[in-house]
Amino acid sequence: MKARTRQIAFERTALIVILALYLMPVLWLVTTAYKPPREIFSSPPVFGFSPTLFNFERIFAMFDVWALLKSSLIISLGTTVLSLLLGVPAGYALARSKSRYAILVAYFFLAIRTVPIIATLIPFYLMMRDIGLLGTWWAVVMINTTLNCAFVTWMMFSYFRALPRDMEEAALTDGCTLWGSFYRVALPMVVPGIIASALFCIMFSWNDFLTPMFLTGPDTKPLSVALLAAFGTKDITWGTLGALAHFSTVPIVLMALFLNRYFVQGLTKGVQ
Amino acid sequence: MTSTSAGSIDLASPRASGLRFTDRRKLFLVALALPAIVYVVLVAVWPLAQGIWYSFFDYNLLRGGGRRTFVGLDNYVALWADATARRAVINTFLFTFGAVTLEFAVGLGLALLLWRDGRFNRICLAFLLIPVTITPIVVGLIFRALLAVDYGFLGYYLAEWGISGPRGFLANPTAALPVMILIDVWEWTPLVALILLAGLKSLPTDILEAAAADGATALQRFRLVVLPLLLPTVFLALVLRVMDAFRVFDIIFVTTGGGPADATTSLMVYGVKQGLEFFNIGFASAIGNLTILCIALMCACFTLLIRRADVRANER
Repeated sequence: MKARTRQIAFERTALIVILALYLMPVLWLVTTAYKPPREIFSSPPVFGFSPTLFNFERIFAMFDVWALLKSSLIISLGTTVLSLLLGVPAGYALARSKSRYAILVAYFFLAIRTVPIIATLIPFYLMMRDIGLLGTWWAVVMINTTLNCAFVTWMMFSYFRALPRDMEEAALTDGCTLWGSFYRVALPMVVPGIIASALFCIMFSWNDFLTPMFLTGPDTKPLSVALLAAFGTKDITWGTLGALAHFSTVPIVLMALFLNRYFVQGLTKGVQ
Repeated sequence: MTSTSAGSIDLASPRASGLRFTDRRKLFLVALALPAIVYVVLVAVWPLAQGIWYSFFDYNLLRGGGRRTFVGLDNYVALWADATARRAVINTFLFTFGAVTLEFAVGLGLALLLWRDGRFNRICLAFLLIPVTITPIVVGLIFRALLAVDYGFLGYYLAEWGISGPRGFLANPTAALPVMILIDVWEWTPLVALILLAGLKSLPTDILEAAAADGATALQRFRLVVLPLLLPTVFLALVLRVMDAFRVFDIIFVTTGGGPADATTSLMVYGVKQGLEFFNIGFASAIGNLTILCIALMCACFTLLIRRADVRANER
C-alpha cells in the first residue's frame, strides 16, 4: 500500500512539473499584457513587473475592439448554426439508413475534413469575387461551414449509431411521424453530442485565420486577422498584442474549461 | 403493445400517401441528408474540381489581365523543377514525421500519468488542454516573442549561452524547422494524450487485473496487454495528427513566414504565398493538388496498416 501512495505522489509531482512548464508560455502572454513597454523590451528580460492597464488603453485607442469581437462572433456563430442545421439531420440519416451507400457517404464527409484549405480556398476566393461576396462575413461562413458541417455530420453519425433504435421504432408504432421520431425521440438523446459539436465549430471558426484573412474586408475582419495585421504596424508592442490576444483567447479557453466534459467528448469522439 | 387502434401504423401497410412505409422512410432519410450533401458538393467539391482544372492552366491574376492559357501538365513539371517546392515537400514530411512522433511519445507518457481516475488528474487534464484551444496564430506570436533574441525569455538566454547563435533559432536555417516542430508539439501533445487516455480508460479492466494477478510486471503488462489493446486508439491519434500536421500553416506563417531561406516553408505556406499573395492561380492549384495527393496516399497507407494489424490481432 505504501508503494502505491508513493507512486501516486510521484505521478502527481511529475504532472505538476509538466503542467508548470507547459503553461509558462500562456502565463507569459497573460502577464505581458499588463507590463509597461519598457519592461517588456528590457534586455536581459526582467521577471517581476509593475502591473498596468496601459496596453489595454492602447488597443482600445488603436482598434475598434468591439467591431472585431462582433466579426469573430458573427463568423463563428453563423458557421456553427449552419453546420448544425445541415450536419445533425445528415448524421442521423446516415446512421439510420440501411443502404450500403450510407457508410460511403459518411466516409466522404470524413474525407472532406482532411482536405487542405489551400486546395479549395483559391477557387472559392475567385467564386466569391465573381459573385461580389468577397469581403463579407457570408463568404467566410460559407466556406467554414463545409469543413464544420462535414465534421458535425461525421460526429453525429457516430453518436446516432451508438443509440439503440428501439425507442424510435416504439414511437413509430405508437403513431409518431418519421420527423417526430427524429426530432422528439432521437434528438434529445444526443444533446451532449450536439453541444460537443457546437463547441468544436465555435472553436474552429473563432480561431481560424487563413480564410478570413483573404475573404474579409477592413470592416468585416475578425480578431484573429487583426492580431496579425496589428503585428505589422510599428507602434505595436508585445504588450498591446498580448492585450489584444486576451480577447481572442480568453473566451475559448474559458468555454473549454467550463464545458470541459463536452469539450473532451468532442475531442475524443469527434475523431473516431 | 396494443397497436390495433385506428391511429397506429402497421409498419408494412400502404398509407394514404400511396407509398410503402419503407419507401417513405427512405425518402425521409434522403431528405434529411440531402441538404448537407448538396451543400458540401457545391461549396467544397466544386471548388476542389475547379482547383484541379486550374492546375492545367497558366493563370495569373496579376499578369496578362488574368487570362487563362491551357498548358497541360506544365505546372506540375514546374513544381518538380522548383527548388522551393521540393524543399516544401521535404519540410512538410519532416515536420509531420517529427511532430507526430514526438507528440505520440510524450502524449503516451502523459496519458499513462493521467490514467488513474481522480479529481486531481481531471483538473490537470483540463488545464493541459489550454494550448489546444488557443488561437494558433497567437501560439505562433507567443513563441516568436519568447524566442526573440534581444528581449525574449527563451531567446535571450539561448543566444547569451551560445546555444542558438547570436541571431536566434528562428533565423537559423538548420534550427528553424525543429523549432516549428517543438511549437506544434507544445500545442497538440495534450490532444494526443487525451485521445490515448480515452482509449486507456475504455480498456477492459478484468484483463488488466488478470495480468496483474498473474504476476506480470508493469512493463510486461504495458507491452503485452495494454499496447496491443490500445492499437486502434493509437492509429486513430496518429492518423488524425498526421492529417492535421501535414496541413501546417498558422504557426509557420506567423513565426518565420517560411524562412530563413525556405527552411520552414511547408506546402500550405508555399501554396498560400503563390496563390493568394502572388495570385499565381495555376501553380498554386498544382501545389494544393499535390498536398491532397500526399494526404490521400498517407490515408491509404494507414488503412492498409490498420487492416494488417487487425488481421494479426485476429490470428493471435
